[in-house]
Amino acid sequence: MTEFLELRGISKFYGNIVALQNVTTTVNPGEVTCVLGDNGAGKSTFIKILAGVHQHSEGEFLLEGEAVNFESPREALDKGIATVYQDLAMVPLMSIWRNFFLGAEPTTGVWPFRWVDKAKAMKIAVEEMGKMGIDVRDPEQPVGTLSGGERQSVAIARAAYFGAKVLILDEPTSALGVKQSGVVLRYIVEARNRGLAVIFITHNPAHAYPVGDRFLILNRGQSLGNFAKEEVTQQELTQLMAGGAELEELQEELSAAISGVDK
Amino acid sequence: MSDTTTTTSAAQSADVSDEVEELEDSAATQEGGGDDAAGTPPGDGAADERLNFRGPIQRLLTRPEIGALAGAAAVWTLFWLVGGNFGTAGATANFLDVSSTLGIMSVAVALLMIGGEFDLSSGSMTGATAIFVLLVTTQVGELGGAGLGYHLAIPLSLMFALGIGWFNGAMVERTSLPSFIVTLATFFILIGAKLGFAKRLTDKVIVARDEDADPEGWEFWSNIFAGQWRAQDNVWAQRDTVWAILMIVGGALLVLGTIYMTFNRTKKMNPAGPVVFAVGVAGSIAGFLLLLTTDGVTNNIIWGILTAAGALVAAIGFGLANFDRAVPVSGAMPAQVPKMFFGGLISLSAGVVLGLIIMSDNEESIGLLGGGFARTVFFVGLVIVGLAALAVAAGKAPPSAPLIGVAILAVPTFTFLTTVQGARAILFAGLVLIGTALMLAAASQLRSASSSLAMILGLATVGVLTVVAFIIRSQGTGRQIRVELFTTILIGAFLIGLGAIMTFLFQKRTGPDIAADRLGGIVNSFGFVALAVATLIRLLFIIPEQVGTNVGSIPLRISVLWFAVVVIGATFVLEKTKFGSWIYAVGGNTNAARSVGVPAARTKTSLFMIVSSAAWLVGMLTAFRFESVQANVGDGLEFNYIIAAVVGGCLLTGGYGSTIGAAIGAIIFAMIRSGIGFAGWDSNWQFLILGALLLGAVIVNNSIRQRALNS
Repeated sequence: MTEFLELRGISKFYGNIVALQNVTTTVNPGEVTCVLGDNGAGKSTFIKILAGVHQHSEGEFLLEGEAVNFESPREALDKGIATVYQDLAMVPLMSIWRNFFLGAEPTTGVWPFRWVDKAKAMKIAVEEMGKMGIDVRDPEQPVGTLSGGERQSVAIARAAYFGAKVLILDEPTSALGVKQSGVVLRYIVEARNRGLAVIFITHNPAHAYPVGDRFLILNRGQSLGNFAKEEVTQQELTQLMAGGAELEELQEELSAAISGVDK
Repeated sequence: MSDTTTTTSAAQSADVSDEVEELEDSAATQEGGGDDAAGTPPGDGAADERLNFRGPIQRLLTRPEIGALAGAAAVWTLFWLVGGNFGTAGATANFLDVSSTLGIMSVAVALLMIGGEFDLSSGSMTGATAIFVLLVTTQVGELGGAGLGYHLAIPLSLMFALGIGWFNGAMVERTSLPSFIVTLATFFILIGAKLGFAKRLTDKVIVARDEDADPEGWEFWSNIFAGQWRAQDNVWAQRDTVWAILMIVGGALLVLGTIYMTFNRTKKMNPAGPVVFAVGVAGSIAGFLLLLTTDGVTNNIIWGILTAAGALVAAIGFGLANFDRAVPVSGAMPAQVPKMFFGGLISLSAGVVLGLIIMSDNEESIGLLGGGFARTVFFVGLVIVGLAALAVAAGKAPPSAPLIGVAILAVPTFTFLTTVQGARAILFAGLVLIGTALMLAAASQLRSASSSLAMILGLATVGVLTVVAFIIRSQGTGRQIRVELFTTILIGAFLIGLGAIMTFLFQKRTGPDIAADRLGGIVNSFGFVALAVATLIRLLFIIPEQVGTNVGSIPLRISVLWFAVVVIGATFVLEKTKFGSWIYAVGGNTNAARSVGVPAARTKTSLFMIVSSAAWLVGMLTAFRFESVQANVGDGLEFNYIIAAVVGGCLLTGGYGSTIGAAIGAIIFAMIRSGIGFAGWDSNWQFLILGALLLGAVIVNNSIRQRALNS
């Protein structure tokens, strides 16, 4: 069976620096693939390859069984791979509907007098946000008035509306509080239920485990494993991510330091 | 494995599994989880939403240009009250002329600033294009210009301008340097090039039209760039009738559109509505026709009341046909309401009394605390300012300490500068405005407690304002007070009364209604156009009685038309088109714009080219109007463009602003410059007023933006 999106032994070198080595994973519609890793694990490089910002140096990148090598983010977007970056997704002073349609505004009228079909754009924005479970009362409201979680959800709804088949979320929960993170995770499930293939990048296993169907763990540019949900527990995930042994050492050191203070 | 690790991970996993359950629950049911954070319960449209709905008037108050509009109204009123001729067509033609070239540039610069960039070369660009055209058409001496015809020279100069705009944009994009630095370099390059080429080719620093060679096409382009319209040559007997009809229709459309957007549209129409509406309109029209055709105070009052009553009945009929009836509320009156109302009443009365007491024709300086004593007070104040500032710097005094000194020295300064007449106008206008605002605020505070009392308070305000209007009429001296101010106050009072009655009868909207906003917006724009056309025909034509007088002898220049074209075009582009969205986006967050596929580099470069094309237009207007251009013309004006754009609500950091605001900013600039002349003041004061205005505008605009973001 051909997978929808498949990466086989992908590597990326910047000169003599190995940013990513021999990473293999698959992503399917209606599934959430979580990419976990600590800082410097190669997560950014990984998504930049998927999003077309960088090109891989070795390995195979298969989209619907066909080898691809994106030249630009635009090309990835055209192939249905949309990326929501954690903090550069929105223009805060612009209204919700303008943000929703930014870069792909529906127009009407006769050239040279083509204008944005505002009524249509506002209607669609409200509907699409409704599908994500957000009741937008005033689509003219600036995005800056929304909470962090709601902003992420505008970006997710936008990507889904514009026919994204693969949705890459770059650390969507890292800057959010507990409840806000819960909200974003709900939208991730929502997007998955709508048949999107979701790639969820995070360094928080507690966020990844509940929503993920498949887990790719990166550490220092190498893949530490590619698991289906049945094959792994959250505890194992945490251990693997921090490089198990190192975490134990760290905790011993910490407990020694704390007991030292207590004395 | 040590004990510590086990316990920690056990605790961790316990925590985590709780969270997992919670998350999975929420995922399964699509509800719960973080519903108080963002997932608002959909559909029920409850009134206790965190976001309050904003009606059309509140939304207007968060527009970026509203500060500039209020400033323009204030400046206009100031000069109108002080300088006798400021309200005339001639004065209007004068300040529109001054504002046109400034405005064309400030609108383009506003677009660029919204896009997040600056262009310091824009000022010298206006001169550069003018000199370019004059140089390539001259044939002087051995070196000479190119001797081109104007039909060739003018398109070439546009290409030259576009090239410079492209250069600015491409440099900013390629180098990622701040546009401030890049365009500063262009600014100096242009200054040098203008002087150098002018000197080298014509041996002068003033470049004039070559009248000896007189290349082909001057006449043709002169009509386009330097045409003018003298109202004195254009008589139209029916002007005032058409004007009055347009004013009434425009005003009525504005009121109807605003009402339509304010109230809750009903599902079932009240059949009496259209009938009442028709009766009201008929009554109002009849009253107005009688008002125009009859004379005498009694007649005027009777027919005036009929007109107003008819309009009111029409509005109520319109409401019955379209809106839900309000549910009356009654409750205890909030404690501050009587205080606010009587405070307002006292302020209004004080304004009227002071206006009556102070002699109207005294144009002397007040000179309170005049002479040596005033000087001593001034110097004492100044010393306190300096010493207090030192104390603040040393951390020995609170940061606002120098204000004590400022307050002391302000008294002699102001009384020295202000005439009795000016003080009277300022006191009267200020007190009346404050009083009215307080009374209206009292009524609006009362609305949630008791709707009937709120209406009565609103109507009481109308009564008081009507009395004020009649006092003004009986005591005022000039026509502008006796007729124009009187009518303005009465119209204001009528609108307040209309608002009070309509909010009592009908239910205000509490949720969005895109269809109503759209229709109301269209009606409002028709109303606005009617008012604009009405104003325009007063400027363009005279009535037969004015033939031979000096009314309409100041020509209206074609640059004003160009200004209007640029404002309309730029506003259409910014608010309605894709490109306009991109401008906001690249200024607000370039990376976000790029990541969703907006061609950021292309957008910014186009903006630089728009600015340089505007500079080309201004260059042509200058060259054809004056027929000779100094090499330094336009240099240094770029800050005026930026000031006008900032006064008009543009944010210096980009992403927010308004082209209409920038145009109004330019008009304010021009009103101050020409108003000072009409008021007979020393023109050197203009920069002081401008500076104060800039500071005030920035503070107001900042608070408007905060309100737009925190609403």
